[in-house]
Amino acid sequence: MKLFDMIIMCLRNLWRRKGRTLLTVIGVIIGCCAIIVMISLGQGMNAAMDNMLASWGDLNAITIYGNSRYMWVGDSNSNSEDRPSLDEDALEMMKNLDHVETVFPKIEVDSNYVTVTAGKNGRYRASWMEIYGVDFSALEKMGYVPEQGDYPSGDDTLHTLVFGNEAAYQFRDTKKRGQNSYTYKQMLPDGTWSEPFFDPMTESVLIYVNNMKKQNDDGTYQSGGRAYEFKMTTAAVLEQDNDWQTVYSLMIDMDLAKEIINSYNRLNNVKDAKDPEFSQIKLWVDDINNVDAVETILSDLGYNTSSMASQRKSMQGQLGVVQMVLGCLAAISLLVAAIGITNTMIMSIYERTREIGIMKVLGCFISNIRVVFLMEAGMIGLLGGAIGTVISYVISAVMNTLGSDTFANMFGIYTDGSSPISIIPLWLVLLALAFSTVIGLISGFYPANRAVKISALEAIRNE
Amino acid sequence: MSFIEVTGLRKVYRLGQEKVYALKSINLRIEKGEICCILGTSGSGKSTLLNMLAGLEKPTRGDIIINGVNIAKLSERKLAKFRQENTGFIFQAYNLIPQLSSLENVGMPLMFKGWSRRKRDKEAKKMLEAVGLKSRMKHRPNQMSGGQQQRVGIARAFVAKPNVVFADEPTGNLDTKTTADVMELMVKMCREHNLTLILVTHDLDIAKYADRIVHLIDGDIHSDEVNKAVYDPFADKVDDKSKQPAS
Ligand SMILES: Nc1ncnc2c1ncn2[C@@H]1O[C@H](COP(=O)(O)OP(=O)(O)O)[C@@H](O)[C@H]1O
Ligand SMILES: [Mg+2]
Repeated sequence: MKLFDMIIMCLRNLWRRKGRTLLTVIGVIIGCCAIIVMISLGQGMNAAMDNMLASWGDLNAITIYGNSRYMWVGDSNSNSEDRPSLDEDALEMMKNLDHVETVFPKIEVDSNYVTVTAGKNGRYRASWMEIYGVDFSALEKMGYVPEQGDYPSGDDTLHTLVFGNEAAYQFRDTKKRGQNSYTYKQMLPDGTWSEPFFDPMTESVLIYVNNMKKQNDDGTYQSGGRAYEFKMTTAAVLEQDNDWQTVYSLMIDMDLAKEIINSYNRLNNVKDAKDPEFSQIKLWVDDINNVDAVETILSDLGYNTSSMASQRKSMQGQLGVVQMVLGCLAAISLLVAAIGITNTMIMSIYERTREIGIMKVLGCFISNIRVVFLMEAGMIGLLGGAIGTVISYVISAVMNTLGSDTFANMFGIYTDGSSPISIIPLWLVLLALAFSTVIGLISGFYPANRAVKISALEAIRNE
Repeated sequence: MSFIEVTGLRKVYRLGQEKVYALKSINLRIEKGEICCILGTSGSGKSTLLNMLAGLEKPTRGDIIINGVNIAKLSERKLAKFRQENTGFIFQAYNLIPQLSSLENVGMPLMFKGWSRRKRDKEAKKMLEAVGLKSRMKHRPNQMSGGQQQRVGIARAFVAKPNVVFADEPTGNLDTKTTADVMELMVKMCREHNLTLILVTHDLDIAKYADRIVHLIDGDIHSDEVNKAVYDPFADKVDDKSKQPAS
C-alpha cells in the first residue's frame, strides 16, 4: 500500500467519526495548552529573574573579597585568617585561569585613614570618603563611562583622581553651619540637577593622611603634615554605574593607594603592618556558563567569592521546583488526553472489525493496517498539538497584555513587571508538537495491535 | 501437477470438551480454468473447505498446494502477498466498504498491491464496464441494489487478474432472476480469462453452471463428478473449448 493511500485512509477514517475525533482532539488541545502555557510561564519567570540579576550586576562577573579587618556577621563558618591573601601572586594566578578574560583588582583605602579637601584652604572637606586604588587602564573595560572629562591617560597618573557620580556631594562646606553645610544631588524644579559646592573638574583636591593623635573638635583628624599630603587633579566624573559601587567614592591609582596605606601605618606607628593587599578582585569570565566552574575553583582554594551566577543558580533551583509542579499538573491533563485517544481508537476497532477483515481477505498487509491505526492516533495528537499551540499563543498574548502584575499576583509568580510573564520560544512549539504526536502514537499502539489481531474469518462471517 | 492439490485435509473445532469434525479427510485436485462447485447442505463443511483453500484458516492436518505453494506453511505476510497475486474473493454478503464508491471498492485489491491511484482507477473502470456498471462508478454500495452490489463484488474479485476466484454462496442473498444474471456474469469472466473458480453453494440450480460438482456430506466428499450437462449461456462462443475436468 502506498503511503499516500494510507494517509488518505487515515484521514477518511478520522473524518468518518468526526464528532468523536473532535472531542478527542479537544482533550489533546487542553493538555497541550496546559503544558505550553505552564512552561511559557516558567520561561517568563527565568527571563524576569535574569533581568533582575542583570540589573544588580554583571552576570559574567565573580567578585573575590580580601581579608577584611572587620568581622563579617555572616562569615562565621570560616576564619578569615585562614584565607589565602589577595596579593600580586593571587592576582597573577587568577589572570591565568581558564575562561577568565579580565581581572580588576581594587585596594580600598580605609575611610578612617584619610581626609579629602578641596577649595581654598581646604574649605570643602570630606572625612569619611571611600577611596579605591584601581588600574585606570581597565576602567573603560569595566564599563565605567565618564560624564565629564575623560579616562585618565598619559605616563603619570599617580596623582590623578576619578570622581564617582555623586562623590562631590559628599564634601561639606566648613564655612557654613548646620543644614547649609551639606548638599546632595537632587532634581531642581527647572529640571536640572543641583550642583555640588565646587566643580571637581577645575578645583584641585587634596588627600591627606590622618594623624590619629590630633583630633579636631568635630571628630575629624588633622593632617600628618606636608609629607603626608597628596595634591590631586581630577580627570573625570563618572556616570552612574549599574552596580552603584562607585557612585559615592573616589578612584585613585593603585600605587598611590598603597603609598597612602603605608604612610598611614608609618605615621601612626601601626604594629605588624603588612603590605597592602587587594581588598577585592573582580573577574570577568568569557561565558556565563563557565562562571560556576571558575567560582568553584576559587572557593575551593579558600577565597571568599560571590557572583550573580551563584545567586542565579540558587534562585533557579527554587523556580525549578515551582515549574516542576506546574509541569506535572499539565502533564496529567495530557495523560488524560492520551487515555482518551486510546479509548477512541478501541471504539473504532469495534466498528471497523468487518472492514479490517475484508482488507485482510483482499490481501492487505498487516503492517499497513497497523500503520493506518498508528497514523490516526498520531494525527489526533498532532492536530491537538497544532491547535493547542495556536491557542497557547493567544492565551500567552492575553496574559502578557492584560497586565503582567495581575496574573503574577494571581499565580504567585515572580516578575519584575517589565518582561513578559509568558514566553513561548520556538523550541517549545516544536517540542509540544513532537510530544503530542508521540503521545498519540503511544496511545495508538495498543489499539493498533488489537486491530491487526482481528481474525479475518470472524470479521466476514455471515451472521 | 494440478493447479490445486488438497491431500488429507482435516479440520477439527473444539467446543469446550467436544470436538467438531468440520472436515474429516479431504483429497481434491482442481485444474487451471476449471469451474468447480462445492455442493452440500448447511453445516456440511463447505465454507470451512473454501476458507482453508483461501488460506484464511489453518488446517488441523493435511496440505493445500496451490500453484506449487503449500499455503498452510506460509507466514502471515507471505500469505497476504499470495492472496494479492493469486486469489479473488466473492462473498455472500458482498462485503463492500460502505464509505467507498464502487470505483474505490473495486480498486482496493490493487491499492493493497501498491498501485497508484490513477493506474488502479483505470483498471477498476474497465472492470466496472465489464460487469455493466459503468454508470454506477461514483455510487456507494447502499445506493445500489443487491445484484448491482454483487457485480461490484465480482469486479473487485477479478480486477487483480487472480489465478483462482473463491465464491461462498455468491447468490445467497439474491432473487432468482438476479441470481441467473450474476452467475452468468461470473462464469463468463472466468471463461474469458481462463480462471479457476471455486463456487460454494447448497443450490443445485447453481451447481449446473459448473464443470464439476463436489458433493460434501458431513465433512467428507460424498461424490465428485463431472457435470455432464454444463449450463453454458455462452456455449456458442466457447463451444470448441475443452470441458474435461481432471480425473
Ligand atoms: N469457528 C467454528 N467453531 C466451531 N465450529 C465451527 C466453526 N466454524 C464451523 N464450525 C462447524 O463446522 C461445521 C461446518 O461448518 P461450515 O463449513 O460453515 O458449513 P457450511 O458452510 O457447509 O454451512 C458446522 O458443523 C459448524 O458448526
Ligand atoms: Mg457456509
